[in-house]
Amino acid sequence: MASDPPRFRYERFGGIVALSRPRSVAYLDREYARSIGFHDHPRWRGSAALGDGPLSAPTEVHLVLSRRCSAGCTGCYVGATPDGPALSEIDARAAIDRLAEMGVFHVALGGGEAVDLPYLLDVARHARRRGLVPNLTTSGLPVSDMFAREAAAVFGQINVSVDGLGAEYSRARGYDGFARAERALQLLRARTPHVGVNCVVSRDNADRLGPVVAWARSLRLSEVELLRFKPTGRGAGIFADRDLTPRQARLIYPRALWLGLRHHIRVKLDCSFAPMIFAWRPSRRVADFLGVLGCAGGDVLASIMPDGQWIGCSFGGPSEGHFRDPSVWERGFGAFRDFTTHAPEPCASCEYLALCRGGCRVVAAAAAGDWWQPDPGCPRVQRWKATHPKEPIGSSGPPPNHKLPVVA
Amino acid sequence: MMRTGKILRVAPGYNPNSSSLGVDVAFLLFGSIAVTTLTLVVGSAVRLWRRTPSSRRDGV
Ligand SMILES: C[S@@+](CC[C@H](N)C(=O)[O-])C[C@H]1O[C@@H](n2cnc3c(N)ncnc32)[C@H](O)[C@@H]1O
Ligand code: SF4
Repeated sequence: MASDPPRFRYERFGGIVALSRPRSVAYLDREYARSIGFHDHPRWRGSAALGDGPLSAPTEVHLVLSRRCSAGCTGCYVGATPDGPALSEIDARAAIDRLAEMGVFHVALGGGEAVDLPYLLDVARHARRRGLVPNLTTSGLPVSDMFAREAAAVFGQINVSVDGLGAEYSRARGYDGFARAERALQLLRARTPHVGVNCVVSRDNADRLGPVVAWARSLRLSEVELLRFKPTGRGAGIFADRDLTPRQARLIYPRALWLGLRHHIRVKLDCSFAPMIFAWRPSRRVADFLGVLGCAGGDVLASIMPDGQWIGCSFGGPSEGHFRDPSVWERGFGAFRDFTTHAPEPCASCEYLALCRGGCRVVAAAAAGDWWQPDPGCPRVQRWKATHPKEPIGSSGPPPNHKLPVVA
Repeated sequence: MMRTGKILRVAPGYNPNSSSLGVDVAFLLFGSIAVTTLTLVVGSAVRLWRRTPSSRRDGV
């Protein structure tokens, strides 16, 4: 695919440029933006510091096209069913238009099973025309050769979900779909190099990720993204059995590093693993530069659900308002944006708070019963609990009149 | 020409799941080397782009 021209968006601190070569999103300070010919802008008033408030729009949005899927995965966080709701094509295009007006750079099309929607490719092409890069996650089950050819021409990156090989796939997802997922990957990889695997990490497979990464490499895929199992949708009922043990949580970062180096493939950890990365005390400057963030919902990213509602993160949070309402971004998302200012111990005294932002709110809400608590999977939080057995861990508490979060 | 200002952050790659900001852990391992390399590579791409006359349209 031909490379897209870069796009620039003004921000309080300067601006953000999205490049397709190399594929990246770069944040520039005001001086840098000026030096390459951008002029003073109304957004350049007040503080010029990067972390001093949310972005003027997310850099990427997850457009959850539907809750419709017939695969029936045991832990599906969307709770997708064969007759689940879907955005109409008109609404999906309107949502893309709205994102283009806001200056969003990337849109991840997902569901449910987005490939089952007859309009998926048209909506993806519409996103391209509006200057957004569409990306896709699929189970791979409905992927045909014709779809692979057309998808390769429009999507920036396509990941197929594979949580284990052979029987391990069946154990994780509840049905035997490995051969179909592998076939989908082969069809897609024959058309584009930008194909990878999404692997949900749970207690069952966390100690056996090596074979998945080696297999992905053998298919010449571009990446393996490791996703922490989330207690949402059908995942809520089985989270206690699938959540990582403290040891697995502590080891996920060095394991990911080792597997990437050993198999020469990009291994990524999702944002909910941020506390597990920071437990290894990487350089804050480097982590900040690379955008290693914990909960970035309502800031760097956000989601639009099949009912058209904005939500800070597709794994959970309150509905913030309809995508057609242009005021939502400015006034909403307090459930995501307010944690750091009210953070309780041990987050309050953690040197990584500004980056980690208290870990995954959705896990905190489900496992600790309180949206405003620190992520109970964080090794520092676990140590703090062990050394302060009599002190209940604090809650940062919702700001006054805050709507209670809904974890779907 | 001497550049002023700074590239504050570079998030490499495209993310197929926006609910999850994927971070390529290898970059973290290489620390300052990754920062310098990404700054150079992204800086040259941005400069090259801004040198083409068609890029002079202002941003959003
Ligand atoms: C909900 S699916 C939708 C796309 C497509 N149907 C698929 O399965 O890839 C999006 C991603 O979320 C992952 N996922 C599903 N349930 C999850 C859970 N409880 N926690 C974390 N990730 C989950 C899936 O494996 C997939 O990679
Ligand atoms: S995880 Fe994906 S494939 Fe599985 S039921 Fe949910 S939407 Fe369908």
